[in-house]
Amino acid sequence: MNRDRAALFAYLAAVLAASWLHDPVWLAAGLAVTLLAAGGAASSLLRRSVLTVLAFNSVISLSYAALAWMQHIMPWETLLRINLRVVLLTSLTFLFIARVNLFRALDFSQNLTYALGLAYSQALTFRRAHEDFRLALASRSLKRPRLIDRYRASAAAAAWFIEKALHAATQSAQALRSRGFFHD
Amino acid sequence: MTEMRYRIVGADAPPMLQLVDVQHRYGGKVEVLRDVSLTLHAGEKSVLLGCNGSGKSTLLKILNGLIAPTAGRVIYQNEEITPARLKAPALHRRFRGEVALLFQNPDAMLFNPTVFDEIAFGPRQLGVPDIEARVHHWAEQVGVGAHLTRPPFALSGGEKQKVCLAALLVLEPKVLLLDEPTASLDPRSTGWLIDFLASLPVTTLTTTHNLSLAPELGNRALVLGEDHHLIYDGPIQALLGDMEKLTAANLVHTHRHRHGNIEHQHTHVHDWQ
Repeated sequence: MNRDRAALFAYLAAVLAASWLHDPVWLAAGLAVTLLAAGGAASSLLRRSVLTVLAFNSVISLSYAALAWMQHIMPWETLLRINLRVVLLTSLTFLFIARVNLFRALDFSQNLTYALGLAYSQALTFRRAHEDFRLALASRSLKRPRLIDRYRASAAAAAWFIEKALHAATQSAQALRSRGFFHD
Repeated sequence: MTEMRYRIVGADAPPMLQLVDVQHRYGGKVEVLRDVSLTLHAGEKSVLLGCNGSGKSTLLKILNGLIAPTAGRVIYQNEEITPARLKAPALHRRFRGEVALLFQNPDAMLFNPTVFDEIAFGPRQLGVPDIEARVHHWAEQVGVGAHLTRPPFALSGGEKQKVCLAALLVLEPKVLLLDEPTASLDPRSTGWLIDFLASLPVTTLTTTHNLSLAPELGNRALVLGEDHHLIYDGPIQALLGDMEKLTAANLVHTHRHRHGNIEHQHTHVHDWQ
């Protein structure tokens, strides 16, 4: 078994463990181990993970805290558990993507490699397009864009991505069908 | 509305935008520009040529202050442009108002509910009094006056490109950077754009990998090679006669031709688009 495939199985095992463990102490220990494994990139990994989940987790946490307050329940342990678990899973995933060559990890299955190739090419295209949307707004802004302008720019980008994703998915499916990938 | 001033064209004209020994690597790894130095003078119409992946779009984004080069300097009217300096509101407003970039993908630039709002986006930030007149003027100039109440997303690729152009020109920039502006245009619109750009009294730098269009877009050529160096900077007609340089830049190709029973092979450009 190559190193990347071993890392893939280790990652899947870690995800399962993080989903089953309920004790915040164990989840915190898992996060500590993940950050140790990141070495010099630990602080940026933690910052990136926290920023990624901040908006979503804040809404969930505040909603739960409000519900717990109405029902006279102490919410702290549950809130700690939820947030630690999400940050742990996000950190694990970022670390895994940064360190592992997914193509080598999945080279035991031709179908999985095809699916990964399609997803990867889409992700690269969208990453470049996303950067262009961001830079175009910056280029046209003579002063800091208003919130409404940023919302509109995000909405326009999201609509464009959905349309392109649908088009690209149709094209990919037709290309695969044309090459005999589907047997229907 | 203020009148645009015509400027002196040529090497004696004052420098507008400069790159000095610019290098750039994406993520610190992938090299896209190597030791690029160039000066765009006031009023010049230049064309940036290079094959796909040579770094043309990156160079425009660096000139527009959107990407900070890994090494080297960007200078606008004798003032160095860096991310830190662009945080100063006065320089930011002046630079963004005077140096405009037309993105290759017009969808990246469109986000307002109507074409009118799209064109008015820049002037509203400036708080100028005659926004409606400016918007109508530039919408008519580029030929989208009939679409002002429509959402820009509903337009064709060529119409979107024109809306983007109007949204930039309404600010009356001094430098216009255009990234493959003919890519989404049909032949009629391409002809219109060439004439329109030639009539604009602004410094332009237009990227293309289409050699047949290049002489129509400017009289000075800048060529990025496959090794990401600037391998040519000079008159475009001289470049078009230099097959060795064009081959080195991967701007021409060779394939077999069949004329009746005769078959031969030589390097040439196709007038595609």
